[in-house]
Amino acid sequence: MKRSKGIVAAALVLSLAIGPACGVNQGFAQEEPCAVLNRECLACHGRDDAVKKFADGSVVKTYIDSQSFAKSVHASLSCHDCHQDFTVTSHPERSFRSRLQYRTVESRRCRQCHPDDVIGARSIHETLLRKEKSGEAIICTNCHSAHMMSRVGAGSAAKSETKHCLACHSREKVKKFVNGETVSTFVTPGDILNSPHKDIGCTDCHSDFSSARHPDNRYGSEREYRHSSAGMCRRCHYDKYAMVAENIHNAMLSAGRLDAPTCVDCHGTHSISSLGNDRLSIVRKCAACHKEVYSAYSRSVHGGALFNGNNRDVAICTDCHTSHNMQAISSIDFHDDIPDRCSNCHSNPVIMGKYGLSTDVVKTYLSDFHGMTLSLYRKETWKHYGPPPAMAVCTDCHGTHDIARVSGSDIGQMKIKLMKRCASCHPGASENFPDAWLSHYRPSFGVAPMVFITEQFYRIMLPLTITGILFLVLLDIWRYFRSR
Amino acid sequence: MEEKGGNQHIRRFGPYRIVEHLALIVIFLVLAMTGLPQKFYHLGISQSVIVILGGIDNLRLLHHLSAMLFIGLAAEHVIVNFVGVTFMDWEPSMLVTLKDAQDSFQNVRYYLGLTHEPAGCGRYTYKEKGIYWFVLIGSVQMIITGLVLWFPVAFTRYLPGIFVPLSKMVHTSEAMLIFMLVVTWHIYDSMLNPDVFPINKSIFTGYIGTRQMKRLHPMESATLREEGSADQVDRSIPV
Repeated sequence: MKRSKGIVAAALVLSLAIGPACGVNQGFAQEEPCAVLNRECLACHGRDDAVKKFADGSVVKTYIDSQSFAKSVHASLSCHDCHQDFTVTSHPERSFRSRLQYRTVESRRCRQCHPDDVIGARSIHETLLRKEKSGEAIICTNCHSAHMMSRVGAGSAAKSETKHCLACHSREKVKKFVNGETVSTFVTPGDILNSPHKDIGCTDCHSDFSSARHPDNRYGSEREYRHSSAGMCRRCHYDKYAMVAENIHNAMLSAGRLDAPTCVDCHGTHSISSLGNDRLSIVRKCAACHKEVYSAYSRSVHGGALFNGNNRDVAICTDCHTSHNMQAISSIDFHDDIPDRCSNCHSNPVIMGKYGLSTDVVKTYLSDFHGMTLSLYRKETWKHYGPPPAMAVCTDCHGTHDIARVSGSDIGQMKIKLMKRCASCHPGASENFPDAWLSHYRPSFGVAPMVFITEQFYRIMLPLTITGILFLVLLDIWRYFRSR
Repeated sequence: MEEKGGNQHIRRFGPYRIVEHLALIVIFLVLAMTGLPQKFYHLGISQSVIVILGGIDNLRLLHHLSAMLFIGLAAEHVIVNFVGVTFMDWEPSMLVTLKDAQDSFQNVRYYLGLTHEPAGCGRYTYKEKGIYWFVLIGSVQMIITGLVLWFPVAFTRYLPGIFVPLSKMVHTSEAMLIFMLVVTWHIYDSMLNPDVFPINKSIFTGYIGTRQMKRLHPMESATLREEGSADQVDRSIPV
């Protein structure tokens, strides 16, 4: 492999004269000295048939892919900068027991430029450094690769780590739990590559694992293991985790219900997905546990439009229950918030305009007895007065998951239904009683003309009377002083 | 009764009228204070009142309790005065007569400067009669519509459901009308009016000065003079 040429020697002299690190002297000569030196090395190391043999029979390829090197973070360095024993004129013959020993020795060179206190700031390195003290070797190139070194997270290093893990995890094996349940440890690389997590490595989530460490964690059951995985998500998605900590599913879990869902139950594991835009999938995720609700929802005006027309405007589970901080539906707070939830869409003229629906529904509700009372209840500091009684909200008349279309339905049937709903709070309500509510209409000549005429009468009478009286008062005062 | 300057005091109202009027003031104010925040519930001041009075439910309870007192007062007033006028020969001094029309016509001419003499009114001026009947009829309206709103389930057994929103419309609008009428006309007529300023105390003390009597109620003043006794309590006072 030794070669010697006049031109190379001249270049080397030049390079040494300029400085030991080529990288800082770019643009000095016509052709960069690094490039000249590297090209000289590549004359042999660019051939992919040469290998170096070790005492134990293992080998390492001496081939360097110059293009990959040029893309690496070390692209501006010369071969000599890392392989300091080697120059154009000097190529010592070294012998190693094994490939492992060779890589361990070579890794020390990295740490001349990457001191322990700098790399130790990352937890993965800190773990490795701790292990090194107890006698285990650190091999930088395990994760960062040798001549295509890149930052972990930029892709290729993660790929290299992934490669390391997949060496075992691409095989069909199972993990056993204490109760005898098993889970496959098989990972399909494509799952991660097609997920939003494609740029992070295995140990970013499985943080207690590394190429050097593989603890044998023991879990009572598969569900216990699933719930433990929420801790991995928390490290990056703390905002969501904080919401989940307050939600009804977490309350179930705290009560010992391991069937309560956790992150991976909705979002998946390696094929993780935010579910953000796929409204149909969100509904189906909830349906996995809430089967009865799902079937009622499918029959509703909302569910029907979603399943039959893939309508993106209709409310799905998370629009009312939210995706992470879903509350117990039995709580008075949840009940009292319902008009707000419905009004998110039903007072939005853009959405309602598409379907010819009135945006007055929320206003008319709030201006009548139930809406007014509820809005006042919500302003009261009910610590002082005790919890207020439940007030009828949207769902008390329209139903919850089985909300039906109002227009075009059988009015007679609807009134009977409505009477029953009224009677649940107003015992003894007759069939006339539901008519006390103007069905979200504002009084007009067409709807409730008597109310409309009365309203108009007072609208004219009130200002007219008061103006008349003020006029009389002024007249009286004026006449009093004039006649004195 | 003697006062400086020789202004004698005549007894105008007996204790029955004084107590009745005081009760009306208190009940009216409580009804207004608990009713207006319900009509204008979205205003900050209404919400403050509601919170101070212990929440909307307590406010409604207070409104209903004072409404019960109001119904009692109104019933008592109508029954006692009907019986008094019909069977006990009380003077029906609050009845609207042709004289009131003439008085109002006379006052229009007076205001226009066509005459220098304002209308000479009897025991109650046509203005007092006007506000009395306005409030009395309005009270009946308020009581009926208020009861419908209080017991909607019971009323809709016999009446169409639309009577509930109709009652609400009438109740809240009529309340505003009465309230505004009282705070504008009644307050002016019995307090700010230059004739009585700062206040006409006769409904609280029961007595009125002869000069004021002569100026405000010239006809009645003349009647009393004819009968020869300024001390003689007028015939409409039942107690």
